[in-house]
Amino acid sequence: MQKWDELPVNRRFEQSAAAVFMLNEDGNFRQCNARFTALLGLPTAQLAGTSFFQLLPPESAAYGRQCFERAAAGEMVHLETVLLGASPQKQSLHLFPLLADGQIRGVYGMASVGLEPPSAPLALQEREHQLSVIFDSIADVTFVLNVEPDGRYRFTFANKAFQRTTGLPPEKVIGSYVDAIIPEPSLSLVLAKYQEAVTTQKRVAWLETSDYPTGQVTGEVSVTPVLDEAGVCTQLVGVVHDLTDQKRTEEALRLSNERFQYVLRATTDAIYDWNIATDTIYWGEGLETSFGHQLEQNPSPFNIWLALVHPQDKDRVLNGKLWEVNHSTTTLWQDEYRFKQKNGSWAVVFDRGYIVRDATGKPERMIGSMQDITERKETEERQRLMADKLFKQNADLQQFAYIVSHNLRAPLANAIGYADLISRVEKDSPVFDESVKNLQTSMELLDEILTDVTSILSIRDKQGGYRPEPVALAAVCQQALLGLEEPLQESGGQIICDIPETLRVRGNRAYFHSIFHNLISNAIKYRSDERPLRIEIKAVDKPHEGTTITIADNGSGFNQKKAGEDVFQLYRRFHTDKRGRGIGLFLVKSHVESMGGQITVESRMNEGTRFILYFSHHADENLPD
Amino acid sequence: MQMKTYLIDDDDLGIYLTEQLLRAEGFSNCISTFQSATEALTTLVGEKKAAPPDVVFLDLNMPVMNGWEFLDALKPYQDELAGRCHIYILTSSLALSDMEKAKRYTLVAGLIHKPIDSEEIRAIHSRLAGEPNNGE
Repeated sequence: MQKWDELPVNRRFEQSAAAVFMLNEDGNFRQCNARFTALLGLPTAQLAGTSFFQLLPPESAAYGRQCFERAAAGEMVHLETVLLGASPQKQSLHLFPLLADGQIRGVYGMASVGLEPPSAPLALQEREHQLSVIFDSIADVTFVLNVEPDGRYRFTFANKAFQRTTGLPPEKVIGSYVDAIIPEPSLSLVLAKYQEAVTTQKRVAWLETSDYPTGQVTGEVSVTPVLDEAGVCTQLVGVVHDLTDQKRTEEALRLSNERFQYVLRATTDAIYDWNIATDTIYWGEGLETSFGHQLEQNPSPFNIWLALVHPQDKDRVLNGKLWEVNHSTTTLWQDEYRFKQKNGSWAVVFDRGYIVRDATGKPERMIGSMQDITERKETEERQRLMADKLFKQNADLQQFAYIVSHNLRAPLANAIGYADLISRVEKDSPVFDESVKNLQTSMELLDEILTDVTSILSIRDKQGGYRPEPVALAAVCQQALLGLEEPLQESGGQIICDIPETLRVRGNRAYFHSIFHNLISNAIKYRSDERPLRIEIKAVDKPHEGTTITIADNGSGFNQKKAGEDVFQLYRRFHTDKRGRGIGLFLVKSHVESMGGQITVESRMNEGTRFILYFSHHADENLPD
Repeated sequence: MQMKTYLIDDDDLGIYLTEQLLRAEGFSNCISTFQSATEALTTLVGEKKAAPPDVVFLDLNMPVMNGWEFLDALKPYQDELAGRCHIYILTSSLALSDMEKAKRYTLVAGLIHKPIDSEEIRAIHSRLAGEPNNGE
């Protein structure tokens, strides 16, 4: 009788509830427990050294040997067979590789009486095959560890994902101790965790980052204890759930968020994210830092933004924005509008939004920024006013050059001519006397022109220090009429003056006097000989608009189509029959404009002329400095 | 010497002066003066067939119809008047742009700054007298 191998006595082995046995590489029994011998109805000693194959009936012999060889090659195998000597029922046998010092040294066997109907073995085989397929197709690394004495753990199973991730082939892993596979410092950690699972008999999980041949892997590792019938932990099932991609995505997202947060802080623009479905806007800090608005809730309703848009801009901005979002396929919208600040003043903003659309083009969100461009706008406005002012000054200078080259020179040329003529005609001739007289007249005309130039220059000079005051129009008009009493009586004209006594217009009293004087004396001078002169003077004030003054006559009029804008130009005349220097209307226009007003004229030949003066209530605020 | 002459100028002082200077030089005894360019135009167009003026002294700055407008109105008769009627612009303006603009009108024989002097009168006279069509 052969003795059992000198294997370490395993109490668990002996106490196991199942019928278990160990075979050597040749298929001979090395050990078995009492349950197994009981199954065969044989004393334990009789089996030692005998061949497992002897127990198989002829019809199962070939298949049984095949199963043994597979198990000896490292596989878990299951077969159903009748065992000679045991009951006629088929036994369910599980065969595993037997490992010792990292080498396969035989096969473990486990037997239980098959309780299934005859078709069961096939179903079980099918199920086992399915399980194996499932394990191998699981993306998570899965392994089974045998719990062995002295806190050692041996791999008994590893799926394909284990190989893919670690790059270690199964034949190297299965049968090896954990300390031969996992290097320090991970080893100490995992051993502690395994111990914890064994002791507490509960699942233990932790996060671990390890360097494998295939790269760094961050995973959630868990080990689940498997207990035997006696409640002792004999195996640990380990799963490594690969979190590498998730970690990488999370890290990228964190960095991106961090960058976004810094951008939000660096910009003074109000950044927003409009969710079109919920019609709410999520605001960045800029809404408060740029415009002073503190939100009670964020995101806040779309209408909170809309209510802050200037009433005159609201429709245009909203319609433009909605059209771009709903009726176009573009991804950008932009506009400029006035936006109310916390302190009540209006800021000019440049708003630019990016429209996020789904695959069908349906708008989902608009992400954009509102930039405060008030300062830039004010600078532009100042520059525009300055350009206007320079343009006007340049035009004035050209006018001056014209005066000097032409109108100032005309009487001077005559004076020179008469001085020449005097020297060449007889002293007692009528031509001599006439020439002396004309020389004198020419000099007087020259003096008048110089006086004109001086008065024009004085209006220009006063503009800088112009201080408007409320002027009672009716009183000024009466005063101007008083000065024209004589020519008015000579003309036999009639004046109808309709100016409210209480009406005050901001401006300069002397300017208004000059305006009335010039326009009324023009009306008298260019009256029609065909009908008695009639002059109507009227002033109307509208509270929110301004004051309109009209001075209309039924005189000879002029060809407006031909004259165009020239009527107000210096030294332009439109009548050959009346003497005129062509300065009156130029002065009127200068006075009106220097008070921030506007003047227009309507005239028809032989019907009359109407001058319309308009002064806005805020006119003088727009005067350039 | 019967050089038929027109003076067109809205300024009566200017007209009187030019007329007397022309007479003092013995330029012509046949001088017509016009204070309105419109009036001068009507007269000229009426006389152009039988006896157009040999010389026209034309002011530029005048109300209603200025010197340039007068010249534009004469364009339809340009060919008819060429060589027979010589127009001299007589202006108090010293603007160079007027000189340039004047060159575009073929009827304009020259531009003179006011006041016209004896030398200029003599030069014009000898130039016109030298031409076969003028003077008897």
